[in-house]
Amino acid sequence: MASAKVKQDMPPPGGYGPVQYKRNLPTRGLSGYSMFGIGIGVMIFGYWRIVKWNRERRRLLIEDLEARIALLPLLQAESDRRTLRLMRENLEEEAVIMKDVPGWKVGENMFHTDRWVSPTLDELYNLRLREELIQKKFDFLKYM
Amino acid sequence: MPGSVEVPALQDLTVDEVNVSSAVLKAAAHHYGSQCDKANKEFMLCRWEEKDPRKCLEEGKKVNECAINFFRQIKGNCPESFTEYWTCLDYCNLHELRHCRKQQKEFDNCVLDKLGWERPDLGNLSKVTKVATSRPLPENPYHSRARPEPNPAIEGPLEPAKHGSRVFFWNW
Amino acid sequence: MLHILITHVINPLAYIVPVLLAVAFLTLIERKVLGYMQLRKGPNVVGPYGLLQPIADGVKLFIKEPIRPSTSSPFLFLAAPALALTLALTLWAPMPLPHPVTDMNLSMLFILALSSLAVYSILGSGWASNSKYALIGALRAVAQTISYEVALGLILLSTIMFTGGFTLSMFSTTQEAIWLLAPAWPLAAMWYTSTLAETNRAPFDLTEGESELVSGFNVEYAGGPFALFFLAEYANILFMNTLSAILFMGTSCFLMFPELTTANIMMKAALLSALFLWVRASYPRFRYDQLMHLVWKNFLPLTLALILWHLSMPVSTAGLPPQL
Repeated sequence: MASAKVKQDMPPPGGYGPVQYKRNLPTRGLSGYSMFGIGIGVMIFGYWRIVKWNRERRRLLIEDLEARIALLPLLQAESDRRTLRLMRENLEEEAVIMKDVPGWKVGENMFHTDRWVSPTLDELYNLRLREELIQKKFDFLKYM
Repeated sequence: MPGSVEVPALQDLTVDEVNVSSAVLKAAAHHYGSQCDKANKEFMLCRWEEKDPRKCLEEGKKVNECAINFFRQIKGNCPESFTEYWTCLDYCNLHELRHCRKQQKEFDNCVLDKLGWERPDLGNLSKVTKVATSRPLPENPYHSRARPEPNPAIEGPLEPAKHGSRVFFWNW
Repeated sequence: MLHILITHVINPLAYIVPVLLAVAFLTLIERKVLGYMQLRKGPNVVGPYGLLQPIADGVKLFIKEPIRPSTSSPFLFLAAPALALTLALTLWAPMPLPHPVTDMNLSMLFILALSSLAVYSILGSGWASNSKYALIGALRAVAQTISYEVALGLILLSTIMFTGGFTLSMFSTTQEAIWLLAPAWPLAAMWYTSTLAETNRAPFDLTEGESELVSGFNVEYAGGPFALFFLAEYANILFMNTLSAILFMGTSCFLMFPELTTANIMMKAALLSALFLWVRASYPRFRYDQLMHLVWKNFLPLTLALILWHLSMPVSTAGLPPQL
């Protein structure tokens, strides 16, 4: 039975040496800390630029608004006249249209007041072409 | 009792209008604001006090007159640099003044040389100003009805409610 | 009449057609780039350098029989892909390239609203297919998309602090001093990753991993409806990259050559899209729990913290943008 001594394949006495499983990669480029530092630096530089620019932008906004303030009286005077002109034309048109209706008062105020009530666009353009009203309402919305 | 709405006649409303595009207006805005300051402020004060465009037509005409005059002066004296300036404003989106500082400087110099106009400093046009005017302060611009008489003062002692407030229950 | 024709037909077509063309050639360049990254050629038979491949693909898909599974919900099954493409194309309307088709003040909110509607097309298609694979795929896709939308919205909020408005064209003004990429690069990195996930691209393409997940919510689709989904997906990819370019890479109007602004924007968008392809070629797919962990446990706290920081920093340094 146990005559033939079988030589069992065994590890060398003391065991195998440590297996090298770690990857050997050369460390190239910057270390993580320095990359992080550069990142923070870029951020700080960016914040500085943006903050400075935003302060400048606030000044530019004031300049812009001042341009509008300066122009407002001119535009307001123009639009007042335009409104009144339309109302006058409407009034004359109304007189022509309603001349056969007995008891019709031309240009009767529809409000129980003497104060000025700004007419709506629909009132102003009621006797005109529909396109004109649409143009007036929406013209700034399209690029044409 | 609804009265009738008075609308001024057409010939009262005809003025020489300023027929220029938005870029031109914006390019000229700051100088315009300082040159036509008087007429503008007068008109805006009138508009604010009267709350009625019909009563400020005269002032509005003055505004337009001043504006027309202003643009004529520019056209007579600095047409090239002004045209350059406003075409520049029209070039990119939105009429941004900051894109055209070079042309603006040229225009400012020209205007300063020929007309003696100085560009108003930042914040000058948005200042709150007092306007001296001969127009009387309108009485009752809102056409409000007369207020009712205030209640007469209550004679006799005023005492707190006997059982506390009806609104809250946690007053003690 | 001409007026109506121009505003309602020609105007939209003027941006839809270029977008669809760009989408077509994006698919080609994707296959080419992937091909060369894997040391093969990619499509090179149809037309010179395979340039006609996308057209051939389109023609093939649209002349195929559109399969409609007998158990599916017939209306929703076709409405979902139509909705997907419609949304993807509508999203382009407020884009400032540099002039938007619809110039909205709150264009950013409009974009957020529409892009969150896009999940309904996924959900609808998955449910209408009446197949468990499609349904589960749709649920996963929807969960992923709406999760990453949270991160996207919060990042947008931070950039809005710098800009001072929800208007997209304001971003070009803000970035005249410096690209937002510099002060907000952590945000930009998270934004880019989130757009990858939002558009269901690799490495977040769990919804349509072809081999492993039987291609997710659109298993049952073939032919035309599938083509609609495909177009919508790539239109969304291009859209997201254009948005990233506008948000972070400063696309202001050149003073000397305003005509080149569009070229500038689209160049940056193309660059970002190429990065999308590179990412797809390089990274393995995320596991689903890792994906959820990334957005809820990493991006969400980070973006919230950065919002606080980006709120307080300009306030304390008097660097708030105008009108804020």
